[in-house]
Amino acid sequence: MAYAPHLPVETERLRLRPFTRGDVDAVFDYRRREDVARYLFDGPMSHESVAEALQARVGHDTLDGDGSKIFLAVEHKVTHRLIGEVSLILRDAANRQGEIGYIFHPDHHGHGFATEAARALLEMGFAGAGLHRIYARCAAANTASWKVMERLGMRREAHFREHIFVRGAWDEEFVYAVLEGEWRAGAGR
Amino acid sequence: MTVPDFPIETKRLVLRPFLKSDLEAVMQYHALPEVQRYLDWKARDRVEVKSALEAMVQQHRFQRPGDAVILALVRRADNALIGQASLRWVDATAGQAELRFIVGPAQRRQGYAREAVREMLDLGFEQLGLHRVFARCSARNQASANLLRSVGMRLEAHYREHALFQGEWDEELHFAILDREWLRGSKVKEIHRNMVA
Repeated sequence: MAYAPHLPVETERLRLRPFTRGDVDAVFDYRRREDVARYLFDGPMSHESVAEALQARVGHDTLDGDGSKIFLAVEHKVTHRLIGEVSLILRDAANRQGEIGYIFHPDHHGHGFATEAARALLEMGFAGAGLHRIYARCAAANTASWKVMERLGMRREAHFREHIFVRGAWDEEFVYAVLEGEWRAGAGR
Repeated sequence: MTVPDFPIETKRLVLRPFLKSDLEAVMQYHALPEVQRYLDWKARDRVEVKSALEAMVQQHRFQRPGDAVILALVRRADNALIGQASLRWVDATAGQAELRFIVGPAQRRQGYAREAVREMLDLGFEQLGLHRVFARCSARNQASANLLRSVGMRLEAHYREHALFQGEWDEELHFAILDREWLRGSKVKEIHRNMVA
């Protein structure tokens, strides 16, 4: 199985496209923030590490084996500003399991952009890549993030407590998931 | 990390590391399809069980993450080996281990697994210094789920259709307990037992 979405993917207000070298400043503008890093495994990122991370994402546009990833920048169609990033990861090809992830600039929270972009990712995963189940994870304290998952029609499948130690503190994690049948039946739309 | 003292004795069982001479007894349960689901060493015939047993014999202490303590459950009344219980050290920094247990079909429903699981939690938290122990089971396996709940483990996850198992979509439950939850619970029971005595 190999799946590569035809890019860019457009939604009502957003354009999902590959990252370019010119995106470093825009990504650094939110990845440097403690209020963004708080809920991620990495700490706040330096400009240099953002540049390296974006370089490492070049070519990640196909799902073709366990662990393969599609990384996309999310830009606003009207302003052309990069407001966040999303990912679709093939976790288990034999069992058709995938994972989605999203990070948005706090300045652009509260407008449903994450929900809109993640909905496009789920559509790619189910209709495009033929996945059977897609899950997403977030820190239990990251209410804005799991609210997005609930709006997408994902169900909370796990609540792990103190299962890992991240940056000096115990982590608490939610896992949400949606099955292809639920998605086709109209979950989250 | 502390090396546990073996054998460990419970009311009706002796928990000890495996011996090469346990092959016949292990054959009785190791190759069962429902047991295969959560084994590290897939073993369907005598040759495969023999090599799985050779690996298990070495697993009785934590030296580095990935190591396991795998113990044979021997019934004191008749010296019969009726199953196994194990803790696998998956994360040293966070003190995490996975608990597994198997009791042969002829010896089920008599509380042996529960007796062994309680002892493994004592071993994990009090001697091995773990922070959290988790266990997985199929959602179809009500007996295991009830057992894990009965020893105070919380249901943390219910994965639906996350993997195919023998051609069908599988549902998996994860249970977990933290050191402070176990030590608090077992202490209360200890006092209770003393008061009754």
